[in-house]
Amino acid sequence: MSATTLTARRRERVLPPAVTGQELILIGVIALLWVLLALANPGFLAPYSIQNMLWRLAPVGIMAIGMTIIIVTAGIDISIAAILMVCSVTIAKLIAENGWNFWLAVGVSLVIGAALGAINGVLISYGRVPAIIITFGTANLFQFLGLRIFNSKTVNGLPAERGILGPGEGGRFLGLPIAFIIMVVLVAFAWYYLRHFPGGRHFYAIGDDERAAALAGVNVRRRIFLAYLVTGLLVGLAAAITIAGGTSTLDQNVGKGQELVTIAATVIGGTSIMGGRGSVLGAVLGALLVQTVSSGVTQLGWPSQLSNLFVGLFIVVAVGADLIRERRRKAKL
Amino acid sequence: MSNLTAPPTGQKRSLAADWAARDWKRLLLTNRTVMLVALLVIVVGGFSLLSAAGLLKADYNADYLSAALINLVPLTMLALAQTLVIVSGGGGIDLSVGSIVSLAGMIFGFTYGLWGWPLVPCIIATVLFGACCGLVNGVLVAYLGYPPLIVTLATYYAMWSISLVINGQKPISTKPVQELYALSKAVELPLIGQYLPLVPLGVFIFLIPTLLVVWLIMAKTTYGRRLFAIGTNDVAAAWAGISLPRTRAAAYIGSGAISGLVAVVTVCQFASARPDAGVSGNGMALPAVTVAVLGGVAITGGIGRVAGVGLAALLVVWLNAGILIAIEGNGGTQFQLFALGVILVGSALLNGFTNRRYAGGG
Repeated sequence: MSATTLTARRRERVLPPAVTGQELILIGVIALLWVLLALANPGFLAPYSIQNMLWRLAPVGIMAIGMTIIIVTAGIDISIAAILMVCSVTIAKLIAENGWNFWLAVGVSLVIGAALGAINGVLISYGRVPAIIITFGTANLFQFLGLRIFNSKTVNGLPAERGILGPGEGGRFLGLPIAFIIMVVLVAFAWYYLRHFPGGRHFYAIGDDERAAALAGVNVRRRIFLAYLVTGLLVGLAAAITIAGGTSTLDQNVGKGQELVTIAATVIGGTSIMGGRGSVLGAVLGALLVQTVSSGVTQLGWPSQLSNLFVGLFIVVAVGADLIRERRRKAKL
Repeated sequence: MSNLTAPPTGQKRSLAADWAARDWKRLLLTNRTVMLVALLVIVVGGFSLLSAAGLLKADYNADYLSAALINLVPLTMLALAQTLVIVSGGGGIDLSVGSIVSLAGMIFGFTYGLWGWPLVPCIIATVLFGACCGLVNGVLVAYLGYPPLIVTLATYYAMWSISLVINGQKPISTKPVQELYALSKAVELPLIGQYLPLVPLGVFIFLIPTLLVVWLIMAKTTYGRRLFAIGTNDVAAAWAGISLPRTRAAAYIGSGAISGLVAVVTVCQFASARPDAGVSGNGMALPAVTVAVLGGVAITGGIGRVAGVGLAALLVVWLNAGILIAIEGNGGTQFQLFALGVILVGSALLNGFTNRRYAGGG
């Protein structure tokens, strides 16, 4: 083996490639699907359709950033759907029944999201209990909290002037939904931070080998705590976007199933559930794939529930590809 | 140490030794069965006192508790399904049980309700179908090395989708299916029944046989020992000549088969094969995992007992029944969520604590 390939391999081990194979494949698959869907239904690539899809991508993409960080540390968060519900209903109640300013309510939502995330973080990092069990439990507790805040079946009379984060005309900049732009900025920042800052690399170190990371001087508990806290904060933001796009009433089903959609997007994007590997770029591409499939299934006139079948298949294929690559990588070492 | 002859339940010292030493705290914390019985006494006693004081909307008496057992049937069976899978180790969990219940229920609806097969072949077909769903999970997890959480998430999606599409989202509630409701009525026990409240029939035809079979398999068969072995240390088990994939896949198949049987139970209970039976509300996987963890099943694998899981299910059902009549309006179901969450987090923290303090709480 020549010297240059050796250094190249060493560098690769320190810093993962900017765009992984999985992400390139995802881009290819999404492009292919878009072409096929456009051929089947020319309306699919109409500006309105694309704008709508990008707007709907934003909340899932933003939550997937947090989920990626958590899964990279070999954790998981089942409770984000419940956090989303608590934050959404809080915003809705504050603006519809207490006459608050929308942005003030969003501020409260961010605080609540972060606080609920912090509860998860404390229990997982200091209670030393598997994340899946704790977040299964807190999902129930948060759901209880949300339902108590609801206090009735629905919140009615949400005012219309929350357009900046919404899918409509007022929520666009250069033709792109502002919510989508916010997501892109957050993804870019998280991508750079996770890749180039010591703090970001520590998440990967913890996920790969927690003990080794601790011996190398990483404050493991604080890092894990932060991962859940940041996720809660991001879910608070996603709730603001969800509310901004809703109709005038909010019902108790808000957020239902979002935890599984987010996890699906993250693992389709190539993040290993065992921890230590993954990128936010992949997670967003995974979310876009899921979004494309659900839009496509509806536009082809198939029953909309069929999209879940494809999501399941994509998870199996994506994780399978990742397993094969992981085995090859291990065989090379 | 007795662990050479008995399956490893995590107990380092025997029940009798703790009893003799009058070490109550240790007995309560390390022996999950003792703890659950104590909690059960507290819950039933507490609600009975509230009931006697007239603070509840309805009487919390033996008849009410017995009627509540109808909820015990699916919950315990699914918790046992999770127990098999979680004990098998390797991060074992089965999120797909709810979808299997929905889809297998639709299969039962088709065979019994529409095609008019006789009842017993229908039940067998439904259970076999559930086992096939479990086989998919098992092959992916045990033979191909997929993480269980991800596989069962994917199959949860896929089977949920199929069960909705297969009959155009419509439930099957033809006459034969509706007549099955008789199977979930309450009956009087023979001989001593006149002194006892009526007990739901499902307890005898579905729950007790499942409990017995799972207990026999886990505690009395070679397969059970292999299951505990791979859950405790899969590398050592493999070196000891145990086929890791086959043993682990069988746990998922068992989980699927039990879910298939639960599908029959829910069809009887609703008198209708509903495509969303297993995924509506909070789904079925979450309460089942909660009960298993509360029952002392270690999420890391290798530890768990049928008795603990059964008691935990009973505790949750009677607690929920109490909450339902203690709180006005629809607040009851909300506080049930709260109770379930507190119990799950509390028992997980307790499992961790006893593991560290006493090196292995059963």
